[in-house]
Amino acid sequence: MSVGQQSYQLSEYLEKLPGTTFRKLYQQPSTAFAIFRRMLPPLAKVFVQALLYMPSPLLLSELDVWVRAEGKMQRDRALSILRSLHIVQITPPGKDKPQEMQLTTNFKNSLRLALEGGGSHNSFGVPSTLPVDPRIDIAHLDNYARKKWEDILHYVVNSVPGEAGGGGSGGGPKSSVKDLLLIGRLVERRHDTRAGVGITQAGFTFLLQEANAQVWTLLLLWLDAADRAKGAAEQARGAAAKTENSIDMLSFLFMLASLELGRAYNTDALTETRRNMLPALVDFGLIYIPREDTRQYFPTRLATTLTSSASSLRSVSSGFSAATANNPGDASSLGTTPETSAASKGAVIIETNYRLYAYTSSPLQIAVLALFTQLNMRFAGMATGRLTRDSIRRAIGFGITADQIISYLASHAHDQMVRAAAATGRPVLPPTVVDQIRLWQLENERMRTSTGFLFKDFESLEEYVSLSGYADEIGVLVWRSDKKRMFYASKLEQLRDYLKSRKKAE
Amino acid sequence: MVKAVRGVLVECEPAIKSILVHIDSTHHHEFIIEDLDETHLFVKETMLHVLKSKLEERLKETYRPEEPLEDSD
Repeated sequence: MSVGQQSYQLSEYLEKLPGTTFRKLYQQPSTAFAIFRRMLPPLAKVFVQALLYMPSPLLLSELDVWVRAEGKMQRDRALSILRSLHIVQITPPGKDKPQEMQLTTNFKNSLRLALEGGGSHNSFGVPSTLPVDPRIDIAHLDNYARKKWEDILHYVVNSVPGEAGGGGSGGGPKSSVKDLLLIGRLVERRHDTRAGVGITQAGFTFLLQEANAQVWTLLLLWLDAADRAKGAAEQARGAAAKTENSIDMLSFLFMLASLELGRAYNTDALTETRRNMLPALVDFGLIYIPREDTRQYFPTRLATTLTSSASSLRSVSSGFSAATANNPGDASSLGTTPETSAASKGAVIIETNYRLYAYTSSPLQIAVLALFTQLNMRFAGMATGRLTRDSIRRAIGFGITADQIISYLASHAHDQMVRAAAATGRPVLPPTVVDQIRLWQLENERMRTSTGFLFKDFESLEEYVSLSGYADEIGVLVWRSDKKRMFYASKLEQLRDYLKSRKKAE
Repeated sequence: MVKAVRGVLVECEPAIKSILVHIDSTHHHEFIIEDLDETHLFVKETMLHVLKSKLEERLKETYRPEEPLEDSD
């Protein structure tokens, strides 16, 4: 549940895009900047910064001077990410010419523009010049976004069979959002639940993710669905229009992330594709449009934190408080409701005897706890229960992992537990409980599985050694057997490119 | 020519692996693509679900852990 994992999903989506899509995406300074900010590991950022104002391509061999010998692995990983995102170009290895690297033209120009300002690209949004309703302040936007997002989470949680205790507030999310959750297989149609749908494994993973990762999951589902719908409708008109659209949609999301919270932006300055996205974004709670005046839109915190790398965004409510805690001078941003501040403090106490006390009245949090806890009693403002072999086993049956449960408990631990742990220098959660949760998982998960690719039937030992070595360097090698001349890798794309470039060089 | 086959890597104890291999051999070898080593198997992605439930069934016959004693709450 680290930052690494949440950006991973987005990177998976991006890696599948073709190079031409990247060239168009990088025409927008906001996109280039967001990718730079969000998707790159530190070493890759250093490379990009160094290359940014370099007038001529850099010899690849010179890069070795910058990186210590023991950092070769990180260097190769950074380069492989930069290549897969089409940020750098590296000339293929030839016999007569040394390899050179440089930033791709569009990325370089856009990132320079983003840093220096200037240009008339309007890539960072056009602020509205119309008067703004004073009631729309940051607290209002936060409340609005939280309500929208919790409605969506409630809908997913309440689809647990037999666990429909929470009771969602209001009518739940819009039917378009419900359809999206269905298409994305976060929930599926079932008749034994009150809502008529049941949660899936993906849905559980979704629930325990950080807010930021949740938003991206939903947005990527939405992009995919929009792509498919358009693809079907526009088959006759050719594929060009379709990709054009999805590029614009994706760069709009990156642009939203660069906007300023609490500021009004001009709806009329948007392209048609982007204007068509607004209703859906309103349904997700990413933007707010006043009912009386649709010429303005306000990004909410869900949108403006899309590409930030703050790792503390554990849940929607704690995400809000984490973000507001960063600027304590801003009085208006602290005007949150008592419910939030209680939820954000962390409310769960877990004892060494597996008993669990949750000081919360948030139906959402109780429903999430009920996924892996046997809850026994419910009081005003508090619920008690215990972790049992059966409750953990059931959760694992749903597809939740022990690590997800542990990290959820750790990040929602009560202040008292955090304080006591800090005072005695011990971990926040009782080690016995953590170990036992892991053991329960081992007991149920007799096999660990991962999807990927088995490489076999190599022509020569040399081919095997070089490809498996490369797979190891870029961090996708999981298993290998020199005797059988086979190896298993978690990803295919870059190895395929590597093979191709080798073929060419020969 | 080198080939890349899509599938699922299964990592498990040797004991579990031998059960899996046995299940495979009694079901017309429809699960396992490649027997990799003592603790690794490479299986068909579409059949993983079935294989898991078959293993679960098999384990239920033999394996019954003691429940810890419940104390009062």
